[in-house]
Amino acid sequence: MRRQFEKNIRSLEAVFSFLRTFAEEERLDARASYVLDLAVEEFFTNIVKYGQGTGSGVLLEAVRSGRTVTVRLEEQTPVPFDVTRATQNQFDVPFAERRPGGLGIHIAKELLDGLTYDYVDGTSRITLTTHLER
Amino acid sequence: MFSISVNDTGIIVLTGRFDASQVDSAREVFSSLDASAVVDFRDLDYISSAGLGILLATQQRLKKGGKAIKLVNMNRMVRDVFKIARFDLIFEIE
Repeated sequence: MRRQFEKNIRSLEAVFSFLRTFAEEERLDARASYVLDLAVEEFFTNIVKYGQGTGSGVLLEAVRSGRTVTVRLEEQTPVPFDVTRATQNQFDVPFAERRPGGLGIHIAKELLDGLTYDYVDGTSRITLTTHLER
Repeated sequence: MFSISVNDTGIIVLTGRFDASQVDSAREVFSSLDASAVVDFRDLDYISSAGLGILLATQQRLKKGGKAIKLVNMNRMVRDVFKIARFDLIFEIE
């Protein structure tokens, strides 16, 4: 399945609908579905907030192969940014100083089984992988 | 769909999916909170970092006055998300 989404926070509902349809068609378990929803939300909102893309939107592609599910987020942009190298290093700071920034990417990384970034010919591509329990 | 309400015993009840598109309604309720409270997650199916951010800001504000929110009835995945974020060290979770 693949679909283009407008680069806007209001697109999230449609993004979740796309993922829900994919999960139903591919009979994903509840955990995989949650992981994909969360990871795609975190990276999609990151692109909305910080992406410098020249195109009009973000392309999502979801594929299941056996017990492995892969979702790609693609954006046309002149500025590559490897979000997979973004770090979340707030755990050692006092509670009162903790901020949510970067937290979502950290959670997504922990939940996913694979996360890669590549930039080719002006296309920024984030690839998320999770394995099904059965 | 997401909703937030305060029931007749003062418990804050979250329902549905607390994602980045839902922070405004949640912020409205939590920002007006000025006493310790219980937040019921029984009917909350999903939370992302956007929801965690609202809860974190609320807890930080309340703690300055010696108050806090307590979180109850989380499902397994939501609890996992809190643990990964190490929010189980910030909130009392029951």
